[in-house]
Parts: sequence; C-alpha cells; structure tokens
Amino acid sequence: MTDLAIDITGAQKTYRGKVHALRGVDLRVHKGEVFGLLGPNGAGKSTLVKILMTVIRASTVDGKMLGQPIGDKSTLAHVGYLPEHHRFPDYLKGWQVLDFYGAMAGVPRKERKQRIPEFLDLVGMGEWANKRIKQYSKGMRQRVGLAQALMNKPDLVLLDEPTDGVDPVGRKDIRGICQRLRDEGLTVFINSHLLSELEMVCDRVAILVQGLVSSQGTIDELTSDQRRYQIDLTNPGALEVAAQAAAARFPSGTDTEPARNRLTIPTADPEDIQPVIDALRAAGHTIAGVHAHRPSLEDLFMQAVVDPNTGEVLSPGASSAPRKGARQ
Amino acid sequence: MILTQSTALLVDAYRELNARKLFWITMGLNILVVALFASLGISEQGPTFWHWTFDNPYFNSTTITPELFYKFQFVTWGIPVWLSWVATILALVSTAGIIPDLLSGGSIETMVSKPISRVRLFLSKYTLGLLFATLQVTVFSLGCFLVIWIRGGAIEPSLFIAVPIVIAFYSFLYSFCALMGVLTRSTIAALLITILFWFVVFLVNTADDIVLAQREGVALRVEDTRKNLENQTALTDRRLTQIEETGEAIEDNEGNAIDDPDQRRFAVNPMLRRTTERLEEAEDSLETWNTWTDRVILIKTILPKTQETIGLLSRHMISQEDLTRLMAENAGVEADFETSEDSDVPAMADPRVPQRIEEAKRGRTVAWILGTSFLFELIMVALATTLFARRDF
Repeated sequence: MTDLAIDITGAQKTYRGKVHALRGVDLRVHKGEVFGLLGPNGAGKSTLVKILMTVIRASTVDGKMLGQPIGDKSTLAHVGYLPEHHRFPDYLKGWQVLDFYGAMAGVPRKERKQRIPEFLDLVGMGEWANKRIKQYSKGMRQRVGLAQALMNKPDLVLLDEPTDGVDPVGRKDIRGICQRLRDEGLTVFINSHLLSELEMVCDRVAILVQGLVSSQGTIDELTSDQRRYQIDLTNPGALEVAAQAAAARFPSGTDTEPARNRLTIPTADPEDIQPVIDALRAAGHTIAGVHAHRPSLEDLFMQAVVDPNTGEVLSPGASSAPRKGARQ
Repeated sequence: MILTQSTALLVDAYRELNARKLFWITMGLNILVVALFASLGISEQGPTFWHWTFDNPYFNSTTITPELFYKFQFVTWGIPVWLSWVATILALVSTAGIIPDLLSGGSIETMVSKPISRVRLFLSKYTLGLLFATLQVTVFSLGCFLVIWIRGGAIEPSLFIAVPIVIAFYSFLYSFCALMGVLTRSTIAALLITILFWFVVFLVNTADDIVLAQREGVALRVEDTRKNLENQTALTDRRLTQIEETGEAIEDNEGNAIDDPDQRRFAVNPMLRRTTERLEEAEDSLETWNTWTDRVILIKTILPKTQETIGLLSRHMISQEDLTRLMAENAGVEADFETSEDSDVPAMADPRVPQRIEEAKRGRTVAWILGTSFLFELIMVALATTLFARRDF
C-alpha cells in the first residue's frame, strides 16, 4: 500500500486560447505531512488544486489521490477543500454552512450535529454560529470555510490560500490547526503566497513556476546545496589567512567580503570549517563570529522565479503557446 | 449518501427562496387572487361581487349554474391569465437565480468538489426550481377547489389536473431559463432572455390564431358557397328542364342559341356564374391559408406548446357543448349558428368561426402538444446538463 496521498505525473491543462496553465506537473505528497505548494501569481497552483478536486478537468493527468484515480468523485468523500475565493451563500448562518456542506460531503445528520459545534469551536467561531454569513468579516468566513472543509473528517485537506484575509492571531490559529491535523494523521496540502507561513508549518514544499514544478522536497533538502558558513573577522589580515586556509580545502572557491571582513564557505558540514578556525587561532587572530546560514523559503522562491540567464524575474502567469508562425 | 445530499439541497433551496422573500410574496398574491375569486358569484339577478349584485337578464344563475360559472372563471381567468402569465412571471423571477447562483464564482467550487456527480447536482437544482413552482400552483388550485366546492356547490377534484398541466407549461420555460443560466451565469440575463423567448412563442401562437382564424373563416365560406352552389345548380336545372319542356330556346346576347350545358345554366341563372367564381376564389384562398397553417404548425412543433398545454385544462374541465353555449351567451347570439347563411358576412365576422377554431385546437392531439413540448424541454435540459458537467470552473 502506497504512503502517498497524492501522486500525479504529467498533469497538463491548456485553456481555450491555448494558455498552458500546467505543462506537465509531477507531484508527490506523503500521507501525514503538511505539504506546501508555492509559486507566483498565475503559476498554476489553483489550477492544480482544482484538478485534484474535479472543479476543472485536466487536459492530461496520470495519477492518484488517496489511492484512487484523479477525478474519482467517491474519493472526495474523504477529502476536505477550502477554495481560494470561496463565497458561501449570505442567507446561511455559520452552523448552516457546516450543516449544508457536511451533508453534501455525505455526513449523516446525527454526526453533523455533533461535529458542528466541535469544528466551530476549533476555528474560534463558536459564538458566531447563529449569525448570518453576511455579517462575517473576511477572516471569519475563512475560518468557517476551514471548518466546513473538516466536516467529513477527511484523510486529506486541501487549503487554497487559507490565511488570505486572516489577521496574525488567526494565522497562528490556522497554523496550529494544520499542525494538529498532521498530528492526528491527516495530510494537509496548503497553497499559499505567504512563504513565511509555509516555512513555519510545512514538512515539504513544491515550487510551481509557469506551469512546471521547479523543485520539491523538504526545506532541508532544497537548501542543502546552498547552505554555507560565514566567518566574521576583525581585520583584513585575518581575512587573508582564513581565505588561504579555506582555498586549500575548497578549490571551487569561497567568497570574501573585505568591507565586512567576512569569509563565506559553501558547506553545511561544521567539520569543514575547523581547519580554517585552527589556522586563524594559530595566527593569533580574533574570530568575531561564526554563523551557519540556511537560505529561507523566500530565497528559494526568488531563485525559482528569476531567469538564471537574464537575472530577471520571470513574467507572471502561465505561458502561452507560441503563435502560429512565430519564431521559436 | 444520496438521500442526505438530496435533503440538504432541498433544505438549502428552501432557505434560498425564503431569503429572497419573493416566494412568499408570490404565495401571498396567490391567496389574494383566490380570495377575489371567492368574492365573485352569480345569483338569479346576475353576477355578484361581495354584497353587490349587477342585474343582468342574460347572465345569471338561471342561464349558467354556479358550478359552471366558477369552473368557467377558473379555466378562462384563473389558469390562462393568473397562473399562465402573472404567477409564471413571478415564479420565473423567484427561481431564475437558482442555476446562475449555483454557478457564481466561489460558490460552485465548493459544490462540485463534493462527492456528488455534476449531472445529479444540476438535475437536483433544476427539479427543486420546479418543485417550488409546484407548491405555488398547488396552493392556488387548492384554494380554487375550495371556492368551487363552497360557493359553487360542486366537488371538482379534476381541477387538480391544473397542477401538472401548469407545471408542465412552466417547465418548458424554466428549462430554457436553466440553459440560459448555464450559458450566461447571470440571473438577470437568463430571465430577460427567457421572457424574450416567451414573447417569441407568444408571437408564434398569435400567428397561429390569426392563420387558423383565416383558414377556418375561408373554409366556412367554401362550405357555404358550395352549399349555395348546389342549391342554385338544382334550381337552375329545374328551370332548364321547364324551358326544355316548353321548347323555348336559350340564346346569348347576340341571339345565338347556346349548346354548352354549363353556358346554358349560366344563361338561365346569372348568379350561378358568380357563385362558381366565388367558390373558386375561396378554394384558392383556402389552399393558401392551408399552406400557411402548415408552416406555422411546423414552427410550433419545434417550440413548446404553451398555449395548447394550458388549453388542455379547459378541454378537461369544460366540454365542447358547454363551451359552445358559454361562447354563444358571451357573444350574445343564438347557439344555433347553422342558421346563419348570410353570404355577405366577412369570414372572420362569422360567429361560427371561433367555435371552429376551438374545435380545430381541441383536435390537436395531447401526444403532439405534450410530446413535442417535453422533447423541447428534454433537449434544453440535456444541453444545460452537458454544458454544466463539462465546464471548468
């Protein structure tokens, strides 16, 4: 039995007008993890989630969700979904939203009656249960949306921009809920622009750019080849000694910043910097500081969305097919 | 799961309509119209309204029984005017938003991501729209049933045939409205286009009425002229026999003897020639109107038969004999139209024409009326469902 909650290969979506929203996405989400999908506007994130939730049909896709083929309606009984720009009918009260969408997910009435107060309390909306949706703020609607996504006690929850419009306290609450769900064994798939939010809660991430996954894995895996140590010194002589000691060990090169008397060594292994420290000590130089540097998710994101050839940020949105007769 | 989902959709549709208020406004209006219906009456002096009596020697309970009076009012005003026009427009306004609201951004994604097939979701919503219109018609019919029972003294359970008939009529329009809702995703656009479509159907029905009236008028003229021609031919033949027995010659204006039998008849009776020519003209005209009638019928075949569908109710509730008598009393003429032989009366003014039109309409089969209309509805719903099921949201 597979441990993958989502396993898709070659997901493509071409809209009318030949806009390629997805150009062959391969994605694997393990059961019981919090997975983050990030990417610039129009990269195809929501399109991918909508394909998983049968809201739109893929041009081609091969894969499974919870062990069933993508597009299988019965699987959705075990999946919770919070759409990005969801709009619940204004005439419904908070508890009625959970009751209606819970029923649509196939939850029997008796269980709905038990779960409604439980989930409203979970998202901090217990006191608003009998107020109509039209009285809710955006953040409140988001909280109720999250609660409705959990009504069927799903194995997998897909949250599209769950913290959109939510205040910092609410974001913290939602992060806490995601972690709690993971602890209970659920798989949580989050689609978000808020990189710092994802970094705090996600076990694994994928970066989607122009309809393709540019990288995916744990944050440690993604940053392993970009980790480095920074040694801050007190004078240029010390920097020279450190650079010479490092050059022998790192022929591919190190980075010196004379203005800051800083040497940057491209390694994640602390053993690698010990000879440099030994050389500095032997020469009697003072070491002001040694820092292990790991790129942030934002650094990874920016690297992914910058064209390595031109250094410019890639244009937003998915790519369009070349016009007929245009130069390739 | 199916029952849970269906119940949830039903409850949600009720909440939606309840929130719109229009459902209850329409329901209130229905009850008000029933109250007005109950206020009407007929006594030996004439028609009554509340405690007022309007003396009328030709229209009172001695010429029409209270039972027939109420039934007649129900099928001539209650159904074709109230339920078929006013209440239908209100019902369309109430329910036109069901499909577009389902499709509106943010709402549809949550719905189609649930474990329910899109076809079932769409058909459930469609059926709910019809169900709420059914409630309105049922309340109105129940009210009218009570009025006819209490005020007219007749228990008329067959009146409830109005419910399926009016709902069938409404469903033809609603299916079109649903398709427009899927195409435009706009309640206002769907409603306006549906009303425009209804107007087109109304125009075709009007054309049908005109063409049918012309055809029946001309057909009547052909029959009368033919009868007249037969009488005149017989008269002329008798006159010819008398002339031949006396040995009298039949000559033209120049004094030449006429040998041709037809010409001899025309010479003896000049009216015969005119009548023959009038018959030929009328037969040509009948052929033209028959062609136009066929064309209109062809157009009607592909459109929903709104008028005829509602007409099924009067067919069911009032016999042709009762209708003939009521029409005659309304027109203020004698019921025996066969005595009218004035050939100078224009075809359309002949009081027998409305009766023949009604007969012609009643001659249209239920299978044609409902079969082709339901086929139209089926095509509309199938198109709307297919578009809904295949669309990306």
